[in-house]
Amino acid sequence: MDARSSTFVRLCVLLLAWCPTLVGASELRIGVLAWFGDRTAAAQWQALGAALQARLPATTVSMAYHDMDGLENALAAGELDFIITNPGHYVVLEARHRATRIATQRIDPSHDSEHAVGSAVIVPSERTDLRTLDDLRGKRIAATVPDGFSGWLTVWAELKRRGIDPEREEVTPLFAGLPMSRVLDSLDRGEVDAGILRVCLLEHLVRQGRLLEGRYRVLSPQEPDAPCRRSTPTYPGWAFAAAAGTPDALARATLVALLSLDGSDDVLRWGVPADYHPVHAMLRELQVAPYEFLREHSLEAQILRYWPIGAILLAVLLMWLIYTLRVEVLVQRRTRELSAALAAHHEIEERMKTQRQKMDHLSRLSILGELSGTLAHELNQPLATIGNYARSLTRRMWSGKLSDDAVAQAAHEIAGQAERAAGILEGIRDFARKRVRQREDCDAAKLVGEIVALFRGMLAKAPEIRINDKLPEERRNIHVDRLQIQQVLLNLLKNAYDAHCAIDQAGLPIDIVLEPAGERTCIAVRDHGPGLASEDQARLFEPFFTTKSDGMGLGLSICKSIIEAHAGQLVAVQPDDGPGLCFSFTLPSAVSARHDPT
Amino acid sequence: MIPPKSDPIVHVIDDETSFRRSLVFLLESAGWTACEHESAENFLAAPPALPAEGGCLVLDIRMPRISGIELQRRLTALDSPWPIIFITGHGDVDLAVQAMKDGAVDFLQKPFKDQAFLDTIERAVELSRTRQQASRRCNEARELLARLSPRESEVARRLALGLSNKEIGRDLSISDNTVHVHRQHVMEKTGTGSAAELARLILRADPNGLDQ
Repeated sequence: MDARSSTFVRLCVLLLAWCPTLVGASELRIGVLAWFGDRTAAAQWQALGAALQARLPATTVSMAYHDMDGLENALAAGELDFIITNPGHYVVLEARHRATRIATQRIDPSHDSEHAVGSAVIVPSERTDLRTLDDLRGKRIAATVPDGFSGWLTVWAELKRRGIDPEREEVTPLFAGLPMSRVLDSLDRGEVDAGILRVCLLEHLVRQGRLLEGRYRVLSPQEPDAPCRRSTPTYPGWAFAAAAGTPDALARATLVALLSLDGSDDVLRWGVPADYHPVHAMLRELQVAPYEFLREHSLEAQILRYWPIGAILLAVLLMWLIYTLRVEVLVQRRTRELSAALAAHHEIEERMKTQRQKMDHLSRLSILGELSGTLAHELNQPLATIGNYARSLTRRMWSGKLSDDAVAQAAHEIAGQAERAAGILEGIRDFARKRVRQREDCDAAKLVGEIVALFRGMLAKAPEIRINDKLPEERRNIHVDRLQIQQVLLNLLKNAYDAHCAIDQAGLPIDIVLEPAGERTCIAVRDHGPGLASEDQARLFEPFFTTKSDGMGLGLSICKSIIEAHAGQLVAVQPDDGPGLCFSFTLPSAVSARHDPT
Repeated sequence: MIPPKSDPIVHVIDDETSFRRSLVFLLESAGWTACEHESAENFLAAPPALPAEGGCLVLDIRMPRISGIELQRRLTALDSPWPIIFITGHGDVDLAVQAMKDGAVDFLQKPFKDQAFLDTIERAVELSRTRQQASRRCNEARELLARLSPRESEVARRLALGLSNKEIGRDLSISDNTVHVHRQHVMEKTGTGSAAELARLILRADPNGLDQ
């Protein structure tokens, strides 16, 4: 332990040599727990203050002495940078004010230290009936104060471990107050059967000649070889802790100063921070601060356990009476509320349905809007051709060169081009028409084929669209809203085409794959464009998210809701085998739709 | 309008079959001889020579694989004399402007008036004829000048610049008599009658021929 801590000290000193302390001309305010007022405490602790001052010449070290509450208040008010207090109190301040221990007082077991933490329960030697702590059942025991750590809490915990609970009056504590010598006074007056002293205090008083050797005996002495006899385990020493707001640099500098102190005086002996878990465990067991909240629960449990059963029965009876009276009223009221809620629910559903239809319609129009540029271009083609033939005929007629063959050729071409234009417009009108959603069985490949034809019809130079149909014969049909699914496909095709146009490769092919996916049918549309940055991919389906300068950002979010309405999911993945983006979704097959009422 | 007497030829290159046919039909209605190609590759496979009577190319600006613009670039690289008219769709004006800068005769945005189209064709064919004529005259002048010996070429150039026999003699360190003889040969071989005529001939063969 010593070797380790001195290595630690050296390490800290070395580390700090690299960063000249920031402590500068600051102040180092230390609060110390003092039971007996300033003067006694100052006499005891001033050696530490002086030693720290010597180590930290640039800092003004000041010491203040408080009782438990005073120390806590001063810490809460930010008046202190550090506190020195007993382990129990430290644990409380750690929990309530985020105080952090930086060092623990080192207690030499061979030394009857002022600060050894643990207790001895003493009885007058003549009380031969009292041998162990277990013998204290039903007896009276003198302690210092209810929140004294080694003056009461440690013994309380020990008694409780032995099944003797002061709170159930199995032993009666009598709080004599501080200083601890009052415990002895109480014993001497015969007011109590036993008394609690801090470990080593007995030996100390004997050595000072203030007490006769053998006058008192320690109950249940542990580790008989130790120089001080004690009845409880020992706990970590007093803590030197930094307040929550204390700068790290100041804490470090102080720690190094503390660790480098030496001297025989207890107050100068500090080591690396000890493990305070035993203290936590003990306080939790006792359900005292900072674990007093545990007590509330158990209090409730006690109340429940000891509640007079008769009263409960009576209450239950009363409640049953009231209940039966109220039930009728409630049933009627609830029925009314429920039917009102149902009506409201229906109304909302109806409104959402209308809303969704409007939205679908809007989105179809929005896709059309985006396609209208290419649409205009595409209609231009047949119109320009028709115009050329018509004017040529006129021209030939005036020049007298109009042959029957020419008329036939021109008329045939004009009719063909007119049909082509009409076909384009018909596709658009079907698509844009408002309609009520309805599901039907239809052939998946045929549905895809129709929308591919419509899409190609809208573009002047439509790219190659490769359809890979892996559906087995018995799985060809899907149960869907045809127009909605066509809308999704059209959107995905347009996205794919736009992705190709964005890299000036409008001619790249688009792949569509149809395959079974369990009970459902999967359709995937894949482009060979530049793909998508992963942060964009995450936002892909958000409404109004778009990477296109002319896009509304509605397309994919509507597609997603359509697919979700078909109990599927629209996902975008980066293909493994090259650039591009692959959108896929599943739809209910006609077979599985029979099991699925949606 | 007066239909052209001989056979200038208009090549229409457009991947859109029905539209291409309608253009050919229109051109034939106006009496032109038209020839259609469904792709730039098709045309480049055996690029036809520009006939003496002239002709022009009508290119769709957007075509798969080799676009109209790309075809124009390749023809320029081949030093092709064909004048080019571009047909553009909606929204391709930027491309068309670039094509004009690169030497296209004109561009027409679909749909266009037939008269405007035919006028442009006329203009392009006329331009091709002028180009043909100019290049023919240039070739003739070069052939005439090629008949001169190196010494005669030196004398001819100085004559064209307006120097006297004396000055030429001093310049080339030969006697006035010798200059006189060379001068006679130059005039005979080139068939020119004066220094001014000789100067025109040299400039026709090479516009920079008289620079220092």
